[in-house]
Amino acid sequence: METTHDQDAGATLARRFIAKAQGYARPRRCNVEMLVRFGATPVHVSVRDGRVRQAAVITLPLDSWDFGLSADADAWQRFWAPVPAPGWHDIFALSKRGALRIDGNLQPLMANLQFVKDLVALGREDA
Amino acid sequence: MTTPTQHAKQATSVPKPAHIEPIVGRYLHMDVDGQPQRIYFEEAGQGIPLVCLHTAGADGRQYRHMLCDETVTSRFRVIAFDLPWHGKSYPPLGWEQNEYQLTTDRYVAIIMAFCQALDLQAPALIGCSIGGRIVLELANRYSDYFSALIGVEAADHQQPWYDTSWLNRPDVHGGEVCAALVSGLVAPQSPAEYRHETLWQYMQGGPGVFRGDLHFYRVDSDLRGRLGGIRTDLCPLYLLTGEYDFSCSPEDTERTAAGIPGAQVTVMREVGHFPMSENPAQFRRYLLPVLDRIHTDAKA
Repeated sequence: METTHDQDAGATLARRFIAKAQGYARPRRCNVEMLVRFGATPVHVSVRDGRVRQAAVITLPLDSWDFGLSADADAWQRFWAPVPAPGWHDIFALSKRGALRIDGNLQPLMANLQFVKDLVALGREDA
Repeated sequence: MTTPTQHAKQATSVPKPAHIEPIVGRYLHMDVDGQPQRIYFEEAGQGIPLVCLHTAGADGRQYRHMLCDETVTSRFRVIAFDLPWHGKSYPPLGWEQNEYQLTTDRYVAIIMAFCQALDLQAPALIGCSIGGRIVLELANRYSDYFSALIGVEAADHQQPWYDTSWLNRPDVHGGEVCAALVSGLVAPQSPAEYRHETLWQYMQGGPGVFRGDLHFYRVDSDLRGRLGGIRTDLCPLYLLTGEYDFSCSPEDTERTAAGIPGAQVTVMREVGHFPMSENPAQFRRYLLPVLDRIHTDAKA
């Protein structure tokens, strides 16, 4: 069961991610709707033509997205460490150890995998 | 804008000599199971033959730093070849009619054909990833042929972490997805230049080749309980695994080594699944002591 502390940590991480994701762009034709869940705080990210058009906490029910990446606050904090420890440095490392869940329609994710990996790593602190 | 005086100075200045690496690349023709193969290989140095096996979906360029390292090439004839279907080795005749799938027996046959075609005497061999897995099989079958074997990111088995069908399908760019998947296997400390150089090779692989290599890795080479023939007293076996490799983890290598008397394991700090290409400076800290041992043993 998630505590108030965990919820606060998730919300803080979500704010940090949203601030960094705004305006993020790469020169590629990436168009995806993705969910990034920080503990109990879900964030919807819309990408059009390789640019993040919107990144915001989901407040309304029945939000629709292509694929989602979900982890608790502790996992994101480890992933975003300036130099992450072995096994906490990549979304598939987290997935393999059961610390991150990837679900939904994976085709848009796999077709834009490096874009998405770089996007969700934006919260990483400078080394 | 260049002034007339500057132009005159440039015209009379001595040109800086081009930096040319010592690597020499050539093509070798050999048969594997009766099928002609044209194999590209690069080599540099002299001394003990040291055959280098690249990772799945990549090619011999991964060893370019070792091929230019005088500390290595002053004592070893370093030879890196591209597997058929990889790098500058074409697929065999009629490839367009078949789906590429590497098997354990085929992989062994290619390596042995290459060594015999070059008439290598008691070569040492280093292989990474699938090359590390086949090192274990070579140790099992040919302890009396090789003088030493080095398995980098080697284990008898490891748990899959993605569905390989994503590597070759029409609605996902194969090169991009191959590179993006393995990008997480590069350690965060590895220099950006070499990280992206390593990934570029994955972007350049032929369609389905990485996936075909993984047929060997995932389907045809579960070596658990099948390595009883290894004789490290005849052929030393060194296993080097990067701490950031979550595909073939240090635990996978250590578990494998626990079943092989005499196998010597080193966990390498601050490297991932592609040590020789992602961070050559860090890798050589671990590789050179092993090569020193091999060189010393050869003189004894």
